[in-house]
Amino acid sequence: MSALVSGVGIHKRYVLGRDNFVDALQGASLEVEDGEMAAIMGPSGSGKSTLLHILGCLDSLDSGEVWLGGRRVDALGRQELTRLRRKEVGFIFQTFNLVPSLTAIENVALAAQYAGRGNREAREAAREVLSQVELSDRENHRPTELSGGQQQRVAIARALVNRPKVIFGDEPTGNLDSASAADIVRMMREINRETGTTFVLVTHDPEVAGTCDRAIHMLDGKVTPRVARSMTPLRQPGEAG
Amino acid sequence: MQILRNVFRRKLRVLLTIFGITIGVLALVVMGSMAEKINLLVAGGTRYYSGKVTVAAASSASVFSTQPLSISKLPQVKSVPGVAEVSAGIGTLLSTDASTSFGMPAMIEGSDMRGQDLESFKVSYSQGRALTSADVGSVVVGADLVKKLSAKVGRFVTIRGEQFKVVGILDKTLTAPDSSVWMTLPDAQRIFMQDVPEMLRSQVNQADLATSFVVYPTTGTAPEALAKAINLAVPGVKATGPSAFQEEIANSTRILNAILYGIALISLIVGGLSVINTMTMSVSERTREIGVRKAIGASDGQIVRQFLAEAAVIGFIGGVSGLILGWLAATVADALGQASGLTLFLVTPRLAIGAVVFAVVLGLVSGLYPSLHAARLKPVVALRYE
Repeated sequence: MSALVSGVGIHKRYVLGRDNFVDALQGASLEVEDGEMAAIMGPSGSGKSTLLHILGCLDSLDSGEVWLGGRRVDALGRQELTRLRRKEVGFIFQTFNLVPSLTAIENVALAAQYAGRGNREAREAAREVLSQVELSDRENHRPTELSGGQQQRVAIARALVNRPKVIFGDEPTGNLDSASAADIVRMMREINRETGTTFVLVTHDPEVAGTCDRAIHMLDGKVTPRVARSMTPLRQPGEAG
Repeated sequence: MQILRNVFRRKLRVLLTIFGITIGVLALVVMGSMAEKINLLVAGGTRYYSGKVTVAAASSASVFSTQPLSISKLPQVKSVPGVAEVSAGIGTLLSTDASTSFGMPAMIEGSDMRGQDLESFKVSYSQGRALTSADVGSVVVGADLVKKLSAKVGRFVTIRGEQFKVVGILDKTLTAPDSSVWMTLPDAQRIFMQDVPEMLRSQVNQADLATSFVVYPTTGTAPEALAKAINLAVPGVKATGPSAFQEEIANSTRILNAILYGIALISLIVGGLSVINTMTMSVSERTREIGVRKAIGASDGQIVRQFLAEAAVIGFIGGVSGLILGWLAATVADALGQASGLTLFLVTPRLAIGAVVFAVVLGLVSGLYPSLHAARLKPVVALRYE
């Protein structure tokens, strides 16, 4: 199969207390092709972010399968998972999640260093990727000295620096004004076209969905076939799936 | 450096933690330097008494005796086989108002100066020359007493109310001679008489007075065996070999060492607890950051190493500042103590290095639990942390 990312029948339950639990995913399945840019959409509580985290190997599942690049990854050990996070998968978050005490270039280089590259090599790689996202002139700025859009660009650079096969994004434009959001979406599209990196984005933003190749819809912990809904829910900043 | 930036993110908090370690190391350095000085005196004393047998009056309680011993016994001691030479001497306190001191009290040592060529403990002179038996009315002053007595070669000093001319000043030996004044036997005998109660003075023959004999063994004679032989052959005396001195010196310092290092250790442990607290808070506040680092590919080991490095840096900075302050305190205390001959502190290289190493290790050990806790966080759980 040419699908780069696929989830098969994924179940995930969060136990919050005695007799108090949430079934976030109830048999979710999807496939994303290599080189595709796909959006995952749905109302709050549909399980979008949970599914994204599981596909991106940040969280574990209760049952089901996750395949990345033709390899089954849901039952990997800690070391294998770490390797995956370094080399195959990139992640961007709604709240950017840059390390506040490090400059932009140091934040990006950090990912390269964790992947085993030496200090100088990592810095060079970071510099290169930062120029791709048009932030070369702000290399030495700390996150507090950058706007939201700029921070997210650093985060994209960080996700890109180890040339992953796929980048997962959890509401990447959630905390951005419309101008910056459009900017970010344009940038991701360009990267997708130029490098062939697959993008899987959870989003409420119709702009983002519109730019993607395909929109995957979820409801109540499952992926649904596209149903004609009269209104896509308005983007609510700060809301995770 | 990134580690420093991470460490000093919360400046006040980390400075207080470092301060906690600094105080612990300061205590360690000050207490330790006292212990080091004492150890040095012990080592010096051990060298001083090795190879000799000391004979004192039979009634003396310890090996350091100021009980009167009759010189008439000297020929008897000399006749014991294995004895190369015997020298008679008197030891008495330099000043009769005995002030307490940790180390050796200042002493007057009078000697007939026999057997000087057999003496293994060589002394050197920073000024002047050695005393001879002809130098009645003159003295040689030990290094630590120079300031107290205002001693200068060619000038006079006052000892027990009498004037003596200084002919020589000793180099520092780090043991007994530093706090001693040396004089001829007749002079010392006269001073000793002052200590004898008036009523009994008529009964004592001044020229016969001594407090100890130094017995030099012939080459090939073991001092311990010789001491035993003397005890058997000569009644009314007590001969002790070098090991008895070394035992006695070591015993009294052992307890002091334990107390000093014990106090220092306790204050360091308090410093260590401070590091644990700070690192735990730091990990807690950076839970989200840890989640991010793991999400971008940090292994558990890398997270542990990161936080351990920060803890070690805190330990190192605290250790170095504690060392500097401790060294300053010891130096000032010694300078002030010069006047009364009390230099109690010695910051040795091994103490300095040991203190900093200990502080770093303390930081590492204290940071271990928080670091391991940080590493075990699951990325997605950590990322949800507000």
